[in-house]
Amino acid sequence: MEAFFDYLATSFYNTFIYQNRYLLFLEGLGNTILIAIFATLIGVILGILVAIVRVYSAQTGKLKWLDWICSVYLAVIRGTPTVVQLMIAYFMIFSFIDNTILVSVLAFGINSGAYVAEIVRGGILSVDKGQTEAGRSLGLSAATTMRSIVLPQAFKSCLPSLGNEFITILKETSVAGYIPVMDLTKAADLVRSRTMDPFFSLISIALVYLVLVLGMNAIFKAIERRMAKSDRR
Amino acid sequence: MIDVKNLSKTFGDNHVLKDITEHIDKGEKVVIVGPSGSGKSTFLRCLNLLETPTSGEIWFEGTKITDPKCNVDMLRRKMGMVFQHFNLFPHLTILDNITLAPVKLKLATKEQATQNAMQLLGRIGLADKADTYPSMISGGQKQRIAIVRALAMNPDVMLFDEPTSALDPEMVGEVLSLMKELADDGMTMVVVTHEMGFAREVATRCLFMDEGSIMEQAPPEEFFSHPKNPRLQDFLSKVL
Repeated sequence: MEAFFDYLATSFYNTFIYQNRYLLFLEGLGNTILIAIFATLIGVILGILVAIVRVYSAQTGKLKWLDWICSVYLAVIRGTPTVVQLMIAYFMIFSFIDNTILVSVLAFGINSGAYVAEIVRGGILSVDKGQTEAGRSLGLSAATTMRSIVLPQAFKSCLPSLGNEFITILKETSVAGYIPVMDLTKAADLVRSRTMDPFFSLISIALVYLVLVLGMNAIFKAIERRMAKSDRR
Repeated sequence: MIDVKNLSKTFGDNHVLKDITEHIDKGEKVVIVGPSGSGKSTFLRCLNLLETPTSGEIWFEGTKITDPKCNVDMLRRKMGMVFQHFNLFPHLTILDNITLAPVKLKLATKEQATQNAMQLLGRIGLADKADTYPSMISGGQKQRIAIVRALAMNPDVMLFDEPTSALDPEMVGEVLSLMKELADDGMTMVVVTHEMGFAREVATRCLFMDEGSIMEQAPPEEFFSHPKNPRLQDFLSKVL
């Protein structure tokens, strides 16, 4: 028994304390959060734009070529693995960018945009057509009607799926280490390879991801509650 | 005020409106009745271009609104519309439902719009609902607020698309009496409805539509007591 605790203590020391290895974990955590937040932002902006183009094109028959570009984007992004996209971004498309964190933000953001686009498109389509007609009949432009009337309601109905997508982005950043980025998973893997002892490095980052996801869940529950304010009877 | 010339509308092979020519004067209260599928709602929705006519012209206050260069949004400010299913904005409070368009279109400041909205709500006895959401009020209240929302734009004409058809029977009266008040104030109104009592009492002119055409039109007394068209006679015998 005593030998076991000795092992734990040594392992913990080697994983976190020795050579200030905890700093490596902290750096990884910071980068993971940084990449996740900005990739989410890009994903949301890109996703909303693509969704609006697709809905607008389907309803009016205009912007056919832009709609076609969006379809290709969705097919390619959703049809290929994220890691492959990340490596293509690093070695080919964005090879002129030195900042690898920026490259992974772009890669994950562009990846997420495709999924967000379909979620938002579903949300927009779930809003009753009468809402648009009511907005337009008051003299509001198509754009104002979309922004002030349709999107807020669409956002509300796709919030659960959107939350799911944001959680997926956070976890997917764990493959960022395929290019030279020190994210949380890469940091743990580096330490593991030095200590030759996987226990603390892997279990600790698993816990960190879990806590982050639970935190995001709580935030989304709160937003959903807030937005349900208008349908209480 | 509204001039419709040779208006036709097709959905695929379905000829919904067939070559309709009609004129509506300022101050008129035109009630359109007819069996379902007769094209009456489509006709009404063409007037503010919620449906795009397949052919023909519509003129409103001297502007040819079917012209592709016509600014549809400007025209719609002057044409209020009330829908069968109310179409209040569920994510906004009653007050914001009413002030949204005037404020977004910069026709009034937030304060002016609020003041105007409260005055309108006071008139229909719903000022205490200003800060609640549409899901918390009854159907009749929703439809009266939808009417007020349209009125907040100071329209020159109000279009009603079966405004009482989605209501529980006991709520129909409150909506009709508000519409009657509006009529008494001199508003120009075009109403598609199944409420024959309202048509008889408020209309200055009744139109009977069937199979995409206006089959007969007359002042209400004549329309209801001496219908000439056999289809109208048949229709009235079923609904009266």
